Amino acid sequence: MSSKPQNATTDPASRYVAFGSHYVPRTATGRGVVVAYLLLLAFAEWPLLPWANRIEPTFLGFPFIFAYLGVIYVAKIAVLIYAARRQL
Amino acid sequence: MEPWVIALSLIGIYLVVTLVLGLVANRSLSVDLDDFLLYGRKARFFVLYLTIVATYHSAFAFLGSSGFFYTHGIGFWVAGTWTVVTGAITYVIGPRIWALGKKFDYMTPADMMADFYESEPVRVVVAAVSIVFTILYIQVQAQGLGYIVSAASGDRVSFEAATAVLLVVAATYLMAGGLRAVYWTDVLQGVWMYVAVWVGALVLSYELFGGPLQLLAAVKEQRPDLLTIPGPRGFFTYPMWFGMMVTLSFGVVLQPHLLIRYYTAVDARTLRWLGATIPIFLVSLFIPTVFVGLGGALVMPDIAIPDRIFPELLFAYAPAWLTGLILAGATAAAMSTLDSILHANTAVLTRDIYQRYINADGSRAHYIAVSRFFIVCLLIIGYILSVYTFDQLVIVVTLSGAGALQLLPALAGVLFPSRRCMTATGVLTGIGAGLVTLFFTLVVWPHPLTMHGGVWGLAANWLVAWAVSRVTPKPSAATVNRVHGTIEELVYGPRDGINTIDPIRDTGA
Repeated sequence: MSSKPQNATTDPASRYVAFGSHYVPRTATGRGVVVAYLLLLAFAEWPLLPWANRIEPTFLGFPFIFAYLGVIYVAKIAVLIYAARRQL
Repeated sequence: MEPWVIALSLIGIYLVVTLVLGLVANRSLSVDLDDFLLYGRKARFFVLYLTIVATYHSAFAFLGSSGFFYTHGIGFWVAGTWTVVTGAITYVIGPRIWALGKKFDYMTPADMMADFYESEPVRVVVAAVSIVFTILYIQVQAQGLGYIVSAASGDRVSFEAATAVLLVVAATYLMAGGLRAVYWTDVLQGVWMYVAVWVGALVLSYELFGGPLQLLAAVKEQRPDLLTIPGPRGFFTYPMWFGMMVTLSFGVVLQPHLLIRYYTAVDARTLRWLGATIPIFLVSLFIPTVFVGLGGALVMPDIAIPDRIFPELLFAYAPAWLTGLILAGATAAAMSTLDSILHANTAVLTRDIYQRYINADGSRAHYIAVSRFFIVCLLIIGYILSVYTFDQLVIVVTLSGAGALQLLPALAGVLFPSRRCMTATGVLTGIGAGLVTLFFTLVVWPHPLTMHGGVWGLAANWLVAWAVSRVTPKPSAATVNRVHGTIEELVYGPRDGINTIDPIRDTGA
């Protein structure tokens, strides 16, 4: 059964309000934050992660993959803090 | 004095402190289920921060992560990915859940989903999934506690006795002070566990290798296979890496003991800042366990149970008083999660089952008494599960997370307005498909194509939920407008400038 009969009624109480999707932010800043976060997420996954899967060069003694991921984690936290400061 | 006496004494002192906090919380408790189960919905940033991180990190983070670094090497640094994603999830869904709970008086995840989907079967299924899979988590924590005390005593206190004592202590302060006691003890436990794991790891690094840098250099020279993925046993393939990220971020957040915390916040802004900042604590707690796991792989390469590497190293190489303090921190890590799970399952049983189907007209005092009865029942079940089964902690956590993950499509349908609405039939069949798929991809044919079974379950769940929702009746317009209207107001502001979510407080929208 589809939702069309319910939408078609003239009773205002039974009409569905057409809320915009909440899966995509409606402001440019909001979209920018989501894109930045997803890009950083992608850098920590296949197919980009294999590039960093090595020991050298080390950073403070840590293997490269550890340091690389550490930088990405810090950047992702920074994106979240930016979003919180902007109350997005 | 014998080292094990010092260690056990310090753990004992810690337990007494938590009990005192529980009793003090009891004096602040009013005869109100909202207060007993939800802290009166008044939790502010500091308390909520420490209770969320202490609850998220458990025996698994303290013992299991060291064991995983020990066995599989640096690949477990994926834990950083899933904990940062946990922050993002909290940022996005936390305020939405808070707003709905505030406006419609929800107390549990099942409360919210049953109301939106206008379906009692949804309530029962969500409650059942919540309980079944978090009971596994009780097992993880209780086993962790048993190991810690058993190891601290040099096996003079049996695993069974240690588990029983610690379960009883956690249940006692929970029964005395409700969620307030849990939150106050979590503050202590969160700080203690963080300091303990860092101090313990650094002391061991300096004692055994001359410092973390020297430790890492030794690992690079002797066991370079531990410093890249997939690790010496080939466990951390890229699909497994991705699967663990999904399963242990969404899967853990969707467990009721974390979801219910979102109801307890004082406002939405607090939850946004929590989401942005909790990854700092969550990620940085894994750094010292790298030192413990990798260093342990060099110093004690043949340990029988990898999860015990941290306490074994402490007993062998750290002073007794420090070992006691650190193992008390490990106890704190396990208890802070255990008490929260006991509380969440109590809330689900009281609110979604007892109050809904057995006695809807009880007094407030009656429901609190029933809650305390359920705590005792769960304590007994948790104990039985703990002493009769065993697995590596991380495996049980993953199974638990994969099960709770199956609530995601149903929750997304409530929290994210979109053109196409999920339906009760859709989410129920989706959860069914997800759990069946989970059985095959975790038990019958574990992790097909090296992708974690939880992801296969979620994919099947979402596909079926989406498809069935296309051809089945959606919730009434009144309900969809009411719930999604509240979300719309929270995220994009009130339509007429009137704050209907929390009229006396700014929502931060």
